[in-house]
Amino acid sequence: MLEAQRRNYASLDPCVHCGFCLPACPTYLVTGDEGHSPRGRIVLMRALERGEMSPHDPALLEHLDACLGCRGCEPVCPSGVGYGSGLEAAREQIFEARGLSPMARAVLGVFQHRAVWRPLFALARTLRATGLPQLLSGRSRFGFGLGMLAASSEQRLNGAAGRPSSNSPSQTGRPGNYLPTPGAAPLPRPTVALFRGCVMNALFSHVHAATRRTLEVNGYQVVEVRGQACCGALHEHAGNAGAARSLAEANVAVLSDQADFIAVNSAGCGALLKEYGRLLGSPTAAKMAAKVRDISELLAERGPRAGAPIGLEVAYDAPCHLQHAQRVHQAPLALLGAVPDLRLQILPGSDRCCGSAGIYSVLRPQMARAVLDDKIASFAAAQPRPDLIVTGNPGCLMQIGAGLRAAGLPIGVAHPVELLDLSYEEAGYYEVSGER
Amino acid sequence: MNSFLFDALARIVGSRWVKHRRGELATYSMDGLPTHEAIPGVVVMPGSPHEVRELVRLLHLIQVPFVARGAGTGLSGGALAEEDAVLITLTRLNRILRVDGVRRRASVEPGVVNARLSEAVAPLGLQYVPDPSSQAACTIGGNVAENAGGPHCLKYGVTTNHIVSLEVVLPDGSVTRLGSEQGEPWGPDLVGLFVGSEGMFGIATEITVRLEQMPESVRTMLADFTTVRAASEAVSSIISAGIVPAALEMMDQACVAAVEASIYAAGYPTDAAAVLLVELDGQSEAVGGEAQTVENILLESGARAVRSASALGDRARLWQGRKKAFGAMGRIAPDLAVQDAVVPRSALPGIMDRIEEIRKQYRLTISNVFHAGDGNLHPNISFDRRDPATAARVQLACRDIMAACVAAGGSITGEHGVGSDKLDYMPWIFDAETLGAMRAVRRVFDPAERANPGKVVPVHACREWHAVKSARA
Repeated sequence: MLEAQRRNYASLDPCVHCGFCLPACPTYLVTGDEGHSPRGRIVLMRALERGEMSPHDPALLEHLDACLGCRGCEPVCPSGVGYGSGLEAAREQIFEARGLSPMARAVLGVFQHRAVWRPLFALARTLRATGLPQLLSGRSRFGFGLGMLAASSEQRLNGAAGRPSSNSPSQTGRPGNYLPTPGAAPLPRPTVALFRGCVMNALFSHVHAATRRTLEVNGYQVVEVRGQACCGALHEHAGNAGAARSLAEANVAVLSDQADFIAVNSAGCGALLKEYGRLLGSPTAAKMAAKVRDISELLAERGPRAGAPIGLEVAYDAPCHLQHAQRVHQAPLALLGAVPDLRLQILPGSDRCCGSAGIYSVLRPQMARAVLDDKIASFAAAQPRPDLIVTGNPGCLMQIGAGLRAAGLPIGVAHPVELLDLSYEEAGYYEVSGER
Repeated sequence: MNSFLFDALARIVGSRWVKHRRGELATYSMDGLPTHEAIPGVVVMPGSPHEVRELVRLLHLIQVPFVARGAGTGLSGGALAEEDAVLITLTRLNRILRVDGVRRRASVEPGVVNARLSEAVAPLGLQYVPDPSSQAACTIGGNVAENAGGPHCLKYGVTTNHIVSLEVVLPDGSVTRLGSEQGEPWGPDLVGLFVGSEGMFGIATEITVRLEQMPESVRTMLADFTTVRAASEAVSSIISAGIVPAALEMMDQACVAAVEASIYAAGYPTDAAAVLLVELDGQSEAVGGEAQTVENILLESGARAVRSASALGDRARLWQGRKKAFGAMGRIAPDLAVQDAVVPRSALPGIMDRIEEIRKQYRLTISNVFHAGDGNLHPNISFDRRDPATAARVQLACRDIMAACVAAGGSITGEHGVGSDKLDYMPWIFDAETLGAMRAVRRVFDPAERANPGKVVPVHACREWHAVKSARA
């Protein structure tokens, strides 16, 4: 066994089987089955490592495959068990022994080559532009898939619910009110390279645009870096470390030494980009990884600058890979705090996985929907009901958006920077800088 | 176990909820005390009280043994099943059926998680008091089976004092109701008999509990001491001053170190030999007066400092450290043997010295975290079972600690139950006639002894019990 694999397994050693992780595990909560709990899976991973169980054992595969990898169990573990590292080792060992399932191979294959995913996503965009997914989305598996596509569209936030309060200065045409305090010392303008990714770039280009604009308003200088690849997180989660490494190498090659920071607006990508040093084991990769920031971290560092009021009822949902993997908790709230009049709710279960988990929702739709149902029920029961759910990860946006559509709830989804962007637009910042 | 039985079980609960493959069974081979392991014959997960009845009736007809299990957080190997038995997991029965805020009652299914119940009734200003440290995960059904305790049971009593009525499926599949919302309607306390029976008398499918008003004022105090003995003596002094705190807990230095290294760090001083957590609750004025008295006693007993918290968030933080302490032991070593014994409070200082001697004798790591107020000890022995010599010394140390507690006039379990872990100790505190009587009671409910077989009451012949006793003497 590789030394790195043993090291990852060793992070499971502190587990004393207390069971305090059970209530934090989404799949245990929906099944009540200890085989679908972190503690139960650790029993299986240990047996796999010791060779007591085969990587081909069907029950072992079922339970380990059914793990969302959300790592919600890590922050509640009193002994600090490194569940995520253990899972990575186990999935790598399984991948080495048996490769991927045909379905996983097909999906991951798409993301490995730009020549494949680009035209595919272009097709998806064309379909989205017809408006059909919006019309045909629903509860069935097909309808849910269309709902996911529909949910990736840009929200028309300044519809009825999103109309800023009537005395908003943007309507009275005094954008100058929002300029920095005169006489304040000018801040340095660090350079930021935007990580484009695959799904984000193909379906959420409006979020990329919003990211650029909000960064500029907050004193960053955004530089464009060409030739980026998919981050490799999906491959890494599936145990295909080789594929993840080759994608990571491609990204390190183009992104190193391009800017002071690398901004990521997808929590899942950000989590792996920050781990590139460990994944590739090279100083160059570690140096690049040290520059990676979630977009909310960069903005929060600058305040961020306040925009115009938006009178919306908004519920924040924390992506697992932002809160558990990257341990970023406050920055997204600080970002939303820069939008005056926003009524922010943190609903029960907002820290729990939505069931998207990369390609999980495609491979295990039934469990993914069961996990999502609890979250949707929490939105439906909220008083007052939110107009919008905000979360900073493309998978979560699509999964939650499709779930809301399937449940017939008139609630939209958006990335936090989209709200800040709208707030800035209403404030007239872009007229001043002449960018939009 | 054969496929005929699997099919019959699947006809009741659906095949999705019958687990018989090796990889599925392995995840049910332990509870919270991994020093005991057993692979069940099959795991079945009923989704309704009706399915529980059907399952137990079927198993009665074919005379197959069964074990009921909640979240598997118990600490006596009580929820394990051998390969000839069916493990009935009740986590899917997780509905809160009724809450009556006026009469302060709630009825729940057995798989409801302890902490969920308190959360659900909190908006009414009520709480379900018994709060085992595993409350975030453990189920009310498991609490009933084990007669679970918890820090706040010092003042308010253990689980049995909070259960008023039970609907139970007896081992022959018949259904009966014990007690009533107003308490026992007649004669013997059958609810009291069932609570703490560790799964021997059947399966509770509906549990009606008593809820309590949340106290007007709560004060949590943290005192640290330079010797364990001084802390132990302070415990007795507080109680003999006529004060009954809501909770009175002790942690020693090794335990504090593990907690402070975890995300539940509560700001306990890591250089102290022991810390005491004292909680007072009640009317504001009374709490204020008692707090002053307690602080004086603590300082007179040698406390270096006394910290006090009244705000909810500060108190919760002080408690989180205590409640997650057991789970933090993995930071010391990968394996853990948790003990649970009781001694008279006055014997605490002496027994703590004795545990320290045993620790030195066997060259082990022992950390203590326990309910000092009612003399309920939990020495935790951290070790690595990959070293068989150490594992053997752990077994010996466990026995010696238990023997010392019994010799001091104590008992072999405070709240974790007998299960498999303490079976051998039963003859130390009960004579053959008493054990025979316990077995006779068991057979009233379950003549074939199929419910949680082989646990709690040892089934040696009387002669062997006497042999065990004389060997110990």
